[in-house]
Amino acid sequence: MNLSLKYRVLMIVVFAIFIGVFLYYYGTKARQEQAVAEELREYSYIAREYALDAIYKSTEFPVEVELYPSAHTEAILERWKAISDRYPELDYPEAAIEARDWIEVHKSFEDTDLLNGVIRKMYKDATVTSEGLGVSYITLLDYIFYQKYEASNIEDVVIDLGIEPSREEE
Amino acid sequence: MKKRIIVSTVIVVFALLTIVSYFMFQWLNDNQDIEDVIKQEFRSLGQYVENVYAIEYPDDDRALIFYSWSHPDFSNFGVMELEKTWRGWQFVEAISNRMERKNAWLKGVYAEIGDHAILRGPTWANVDKIEIITDDGREYIPDIGKSEWHMWYLILEDEPFEEATFILYDSDGEVLWEEVLQFDLNLLE
Repeated sequence: MNLSLKYRVLMIVVFAIFIGVFLYYYGTKARQEQAVAEELREYSYIAREYALDAIYKSTEFPVEVELYPSAHTEAILERWKAISDRYPELDYPEAAIEARDWIEVHKSFEDTDLLNGVIRKMYKDATVTSEGLGVSYITLLDYIFYQKYEASNIEDVVIDLGIEPSREEE
Repeated sequence: MKKRIIVSTVIVVFALLTIVSYFMFQWLNDNQDIEDVIKQEFRSLGQYVENVYAIEYPDDDRALIFYSWSHPDFSNFGVMELEKTWRGWQFVEAISNRMERKNAWLKGVYAEIGDHAILRGPTWANVDKIEIITDDGREYIPDIGKSEWHMWYLILEDEPFEEATFILYDSDGEVLWEEVLQFDLNLLE
């Protein structure tokens, strides 16, 4: 090889720059893909929990998803609001619901201690015993989101508190 | 002279490589299993535990996948459009509608996806055939896809309608139920 030292150094520098750009590009791309996947998972979770209709217009960066309430969403919100009216510590974020910012809306359920407090109060006020039933904030979430009565006696509680009409009235 | 040979060899090798990789790409594209692509797209949508009811090809380069998702009730009914491009099948759009079958013979929504207007919804297993009659006398027989539930679907070729009578038949041709369904044409587009 009769290349001068200058050329060898130049070649190494060019090669190093090339590798650097390549690594930077793929590193950024991998991070972006991970962020996109997380965002899409969150949208699907929210769509499922709030019974929303969803339009996925782009599943690549930037993600574009539109969420719309369905008839079942209204029922969820009604149950939520009825409990929140009586127990204001359970926030009912009217502004975020109006703005259809569902990810913001869901933040109201982040504090499980608060939710546990609400369900305990409900049982206390309704003078219905929860003994041996393993009642927790999950019972509250199951009721609000799925109107699920099983595995607890939450149905007696909501009827007793006047949140739902009694069975005879139906 | 020697230099010319080297240059020509490099050009020829490069051209050959390009042609070979083009054909390999084409071959891979043609042999791409759409079901693998669909599974991959469900994963990226974060819509786990899904059921595919039907795959329709309205054009050579378009596929519509009818599915429902979310365990355990599978009440989110979706339709996804894929387009065949030089990179293989690619995601275009997906629409998911929440429809619970409780206390209903059938449900239905209208949606526009890509260039297609689609009506679809869940129905029961004993429904063998559905007849749709619009107010202006048009008649359609939607397809029924079977998976976790049964889903009827119609890819509309002509004008959408806001209301139609649905007649449900069992496998003996007996009428099971008759119902007028209304569609909101503006909600999802």
